[in-house]
Amino acid sequence: MNTSNTHWTRTPERSNMLMLRIMTWISLRLGRRAGRVVLHGIAGYFLLFSASGRRASRAYLNRVLSRPANWLDMYHHFYSFASTIHDRIYLVNQQFDLFDIEIQGQELLHDAIDAGAGVFLMGAHFGSFEVIRAIGRQVPGLRVSMAMHEDNAAKINAMLAAINPAAVTDIIGLGYIDAMLKVSERLDEGAVVGMLADRTLGEDIMLPVDFLGSIAYFPVGPFRMAALLRRPVVFMTGVYLGDNRYRISFEPLVDFTCIATGQRGAVVNAAVTRYAALIAQHCCQTPYNWFNFFDFWQVPVATAHVKS
Amino acid sequence: MPVFYREIATLMIESLNLEVTTDEIALDAPLYGEGLGLDSIDVLEVALVVSKRYGLQLRADSVDNQHIFSSLRHLADHIAAQRTK
Repeated sequence: MNTSNTHWTRTPERSNMLMLRIMTWISLRLGRRAGRVVLHGIAGYFLLFSASGRRASRAYLNRVLSRPANWLDMYHHFYSFASTIHDRIYLVNQQFDLFDIEIQGQELLHDAIDAGAGVFLMGAHFGSFEVIRAIGRQVPGLRVSMAMHEDNAAKINAMLAAINPAAVTDIIGLGYIDAMLKVSERLDEGAVVGMLADRTLGEDIMLPVDFLGSIAYFPVGPFRMAALLRRPVVFMTGVYLGDNRYRISFEPLVDFTCIATGQRGAVVNAAVTRYAALIAQHCCQTPYNWFNFFDFWQVPVATAHVKS
Repeated sequence: MPVFYREIATLMIESLNLEVTTDEIALDAPLYGEGLGLDSIDVLEVALVVSKRYGLQLRADSVDNQHIFSSLRHLADHIAAQRTK
């Protein structure tokens, strides 16, 4: 298998699932402190034996650190990733008291929820999206339905079942028309629909955007959907700050509520560009939270359409 | 092509800015993926436009969706049968 050019949708996630099973077992039996000791071993293992992960980490860190990344930087990166996956186990089991979580901009979400018309919450594979589970008390009435690629939905459901079968998560597997109608119905009920909008769903139109120094291709689909359904979009990150600290921030991204049909394409492209800029900004502030361990700047596969 | 099929074809072309003519949309070719090449968001758009214009709701829990969106013929027949305006 040519790992260097393998697109993430075709990369087996077997190793991640194995890592998760081992970690769930250790973490729930021995506690977070002991679990974190094991994480060093896991981060070290992946650093030594995942050539493709290392290559992706180095290429990204070279850009964002503005200097050649060394092994310690890459180790930091892998350890940070392992930490967020590990903490997911506790978050899904509602052990929120283990964490020190700072929240910024939650009034944005309050307003959208109060309006009752539904809102999109766009995140990225950056930090922890799962940490949003911890803020139910701060944001009353918060119900998040996650919309994601069908294959990932199956994996996440398997993962959640492994960690805590009682964890109720509403996941909408995007694929056929039913899924899109379901997203639309959820929004009508006033729900928050979360998406990680930095990876393509496979058949997407991709928009070339300047991202951390050169062109990367971002999927347009999530924003097309939000524009079509005429909803506001809030950007969210749950950044891992080390030890037991996280910072959740909500930032305004775009409001599609009142756009004219003729302007939709331009407004959508501007939103994708702003989305990329917001991620880039967070990459510079907290670089070790970027969890796309593949060549993010690769030219899309032939089946995707690139927008000119 | 019968008038109503043509009307639905025109509706799709206009709402999605498709670069084809009504005559180029085969009645029984798949709308989704291969065939006309619509993606799931395009299909959602068609569903929204159709529900607005003809007053029928396409629902997420309908087991018929796969069938309804399988071709122009099936879509138009469904609309003709269920329309309220």
